[in-house]
Amino acid sequence: MSTNVLICDDSGFARKQMSKALPEGWDIEISFATNGQEAITAIEEGKANIMFLDLTMPVMDGYQVLEQIKKCDLPSMVIVVSGDIQPEAVDRVKKMGALDFIKKPIDREKTKQVLAAYGIYSD
Amino acid sequence: MDTNDLKLEEDYIDCFQEIANVAMGRAADLLARILEVFIILPIPNVNLLEASELKMALSAIDENEQVSAVCQGFIGGGLSGEALLIFNDTSFTDIAKLNKNKAIKEADESLELEILMDTSNILIGACLKGIAEQLDINFSQGHPTVLGRHVNISDLVKNNDQRWKKTLAIEINYTIENHNVNCDLLLLFTEDSLKMLKEKANYLLS
Amino acid sequence: MDDITEFHWLMDMIQNIDVGLIILDREYRVQTWNGFMENHSGISADRAKSKEIFELFPEIDKKWLINKAESVFLLKNQAFTIWEQRPYVFRFKNYRPITGTANFMYQNTTIFPLESAQGEVQYISLLIYDVTDVASNRAALKAANANLKKLSRSDTLTGLYNRGYWEKLLRSEFRRAKRTRHPLSLIMLDIDYFKKINDTYGHQAGDDVIRSTSTIITQCKRETDIAGRYGGEEFCLILIDTTAKNAALFANRLRQTIEKKPVIYMSKKIHYTISLGIAEFNYKFSSHEDWLKASDKALYQSKEGGRNQISIYNHDT
Repeated sequence: MSTNVLICDDSGFARKQMSKALPEGWDIEISFATNGQEAITAIEEGKANIMFLDLTMPVMDGYQVLEQIKKCDLPSMVIVVSGDIQPEAVDRVKKMGALDFIKKPIDREKTKQVLAAYGIYSD
Repeated sequence: MDTNDLKLEEDYIDCFQEIANVAMGRAADLLARILEVFIILPIPNVNLLEASELKMALSAIDENEQVSAVCQGFIGGGLSGEALLIFNDTSFTDIAKLNKNKAIKEADESLELEILMDTSNILIGACLKGIAEQLDINFSQGHPTVLGRHVNISDLVKNNDQRWKKTLAIEINYTIENHNVNCDLLLLFTEDSLKMLKEKANYLLS
Repeated sequence: MDDITEFHWLMDMIQNIDVGLIILDREYRVQTWNGFMENHSGISADRAKSKEIFELFPEIDKKWLINKAESVFLLKNQAFTIWEQRPYVFRFKNYRPITGTANFMYQNTTIFPLESAQGEVQYISLLIYDVTDVASNRAALKAANANLKKLSRSDTLTGLYNRGYWEKLLRSEFRRAKRTRHPLSLIMLDIDYFKKINDTYGHQAGDDVIRSTSTIITQCKRETDIAGRYGGEEFCLILIDTTAKNAALFANRLRQTIEKKPVIYMSKKIHYTISLGIAEFNYKFSSHEDWLKASDKALYQSKEGGRNQISIYNHDT
């Protein structure tokens, strides 16, 4: 069975960059969300075994998504992908339950390292 | 919801917004480390506008508030423009308190200028570097000049004449968590830069 | 062209460029010192080499420069300083006897990091630009503008605002008072029997009395109150955030102070007094002129009542 991956970012450009950075040959089903609200719906529909989550977004931001996941115990492993690289931001999201943090701009190497570190994917 | 090729203006705007987002994050990180605070990052505001509409780009600052500003030219890789850092005058007292190297608690005129320059060195420099790296170019920065002190926004931008027609404006509004500090970083690209910016954007997504 | 030739050309350029170029190590010791620095400081590159910059130039504000430089080491960011912050980092004397416009060289400075192959910053470079002409043109222009502005606003004898400018401020305070609900009072005051002073002691003495009155007004009023010379021996004051009752306290204090402080002219003591009229802002006024008339009426009342006294305008009459 393939893994369901959700990419949540308000920027179409960032979503495209993210999907390009995923390892080739990884058996996945990709969905997209443009804000936190859509992400929560997608998780509930089972489309987000793994989610790449941006922080600054309209409607519902990344922090609020993490809060909601924790509060409702939603089934999704979250990797935050953000341009906000302040150590405090990294700390906060990890405390809120994010698996890891990847600095933007994203690239294939960084993504592969993180996925491998958590045993999610390796070639 | 899908990512098509860049055909529409709004796709370019989205791309520049994301590039600015990454660049401003780096700049905020440096400032946060120096001041030991957490900086709240907004979604950058990207607009293609007429030079006469410049005031509208400064959406985060009230027209009636007193501000001080520094501007600095940049050029490189076929792009050029000017960066403006606009400080709300009420911010100085709070940021002076954050500056641990200084014993002074009240912001006086010369301390205000130091704060303005130090902050613009960090924010403008890091933001431009962040943009340049993503586009794989290098910027030369000119020497900064003080654009105005304790003036209204309209006095600040009234001097620009008819030399530019269209300009790409990126506005980033930084606020510091739990402090009354508010400043606006505005990057204005010349009309001539637009073509190169679009080329770079196309390349990034190819 | 081989690399060695090109290298020599570059070195020649660095030596001869009309910009100061310095490289400092982590301990602020000089590594590179170009011709501009040699010629303006009188310190040769040989002498400067390996010396701490603060030892060579004890007058540098060490704390300030280190503060700027450390952020360059730490953040790997460029830093710029401008002459408005500090006129200069290095005190170099003006070297142009004819076209030199200042006693020393105004400077802009750029500090940038020099990264090693490993990405570490062990050295920084300083560029020193001579901006004396820009700075002195700007300073001269600013001084001239400020002077012009001040001249067009102030009364030459007393230094208080002149009538034209004061009335402009009154108009805007009047408009502001209509919007906000803050109390605001106006005082008109006049020197009693001024003509007699002039006739007895001469116009010079009269001028001294006017000057002394304005000095006392300036000393008694708060920073935010707006004082002007209305004309001849008449003065006017706008008291911000002040009711008529509080304005009366202030007016009496002013009256008593002046009464007790005679003007000394040619070793003669000239005792004199003032009369004052107070009008608080009222919504009934349709313009600032109405307000002025009201305070004038109160002043007239003080004169009629025997002078050296204050009166408050009654809005119900």
